[in-house]
Amino acid sequence: MRLRLIQWLGIAWTILYAAFVVWLYAAAPQSIGEVGTRASVAAGTYEVDRARFDAGRELFLREQYAAARGEWERADPARRDARTQFYVAYSFYREGWGRVYNDDALFRRGLDAADRALSLSADAPLSVEDEGLKIHSAAELKAELERGIERTADDFNPLKVLRERK
Amino acid sequence: MTGARQKLADERTRNRALLRHVVLPTVFVTVALLGGVRVGAGGGALVFVPPPLVTLVMAVMLLSLFARGGALRVGRWLSAENGTAENVSHALTLAALFLASAQAFNSALPEAGLPRFVLSSFFLWTLWQNQFSNFDPRRLLRSLAALFGTAFFVKHVLLASLSQPGEGWLGRLAASALEGVTLGTLGGPAYAAATGYVSFFALALYVCGLALLPPAPRAETRTDDADDTDDADEADSRAAELVHALRLLPERERLRVLEASRETEKEGRD
Repeated sequence: MRLRLIQWLGIAWTILYAAFVVWLYAAAPQSIGEVGTRASVAAGTYEVDRARFDAGRELFLREQYAAARGEWERADPARRDARTQFYVAYSFYREGWGRVYNDDALFRRGLDAADRALSLSADAPLSVEDEGLKIHSAAELKAELERGIERTADDFNPLKVLRERK
Repeated sequence: MTGARQKLADERTRNRALLRHVVLPTVFVTVALLGGVRVGAGGGALVFVPPPLVTLVMAVMLLSLFARGGALRVGRWLSAENGTAENVSHALTLAALFLASAQAFNSALPEAGLPRFVLSSFFLWTLWQNQFSNFDPRRLLRSLAALFGTAFFVKHVLLASLSQPGEGWLGRLAASALEGVTLGTLGGPAYAAATGYVSFFALALYVCGLALLPPAPRAETRTDDADDTDDADEADSRAAELVHALRLLPERERLRVLEASRETEKEGRD
């Protein structure tokens, strides 16, 4: 009886351990800390650190965009929260926006984050109600970022300097 | 007295079962995990390298070598005489052994460039050559340890020093000896020194796993008499292998062996 138990225990353990190894190779976490984050995402127990998110938002409203992104990176290390990724994209937009010209590199990174936000909210359109923001939907933010990267004749319009940052 | 003997036999059976169904799969799956782990040179990021096709081919050849050398009797591991759970567990152990072998090669082979090509060819040629020679399981294990040791030294000591030319006496020596040979020809991605330690541990664990792997599992529920029967079966099987090897020898060598055998027998009678 005990031998049979050892056999089944061995089978269950081997399958579980091998599944863990396969998952590790598929998820490819870059650090030991990330293993826990990826595991919680896979288990469906992943949650954004609310306090860090709020701290990031405060920095964002004070125009400390890089610091805000740092907080959001720590709040959502797996980049699995659509709302946080929306804010990250927005911070790139605001930091990269210029009255005369936009910073294309920052806009591109913002576009990546907006794409992430959109893909994470595939079920319903993502809309963020925040009085500190002028753009509330991820699709609108993405369009704004794309418009900022595009090269058009309108770029040479001198009246462009009168436009407002959103 | 009989009770104590029975208890000892039970302990032995339980320990064998634990080794076969829990320890060996754990060891081999751990090797499969660690064999592909690399630590990035910059920020120490972990990189998981799945087994490339060439290492899977090498693993197949190695397992075939184990089977030929008598280090693994697949017919006894997966047999109609075993119970269902026993066969399933054995199949998992063999699958883990296969993946561990592939990842052990993955761990020892250089990542890219000329050294990878040369060492892969060397491994493939050695494994292919050995398919046609007679092997003793212990000799096979020793030769494998040497093979992996050489590849490990080349990858994690020699090539790692070359990727950091100014550091260490070996690096300076190799850099001056190979002056003019570009790293593009020799190297691959640069990894941190921790990769070598992980690889060393993986290979050491793999060799330990092979040393612990019995050629054929003994049946789970058994008495001392049954153990004796197994020993007798094993002796029979070895004798059959010797007879087969003797038949393959050229006539002159065969006569020499027979003469030596007769002399040994005569000495034994005297």
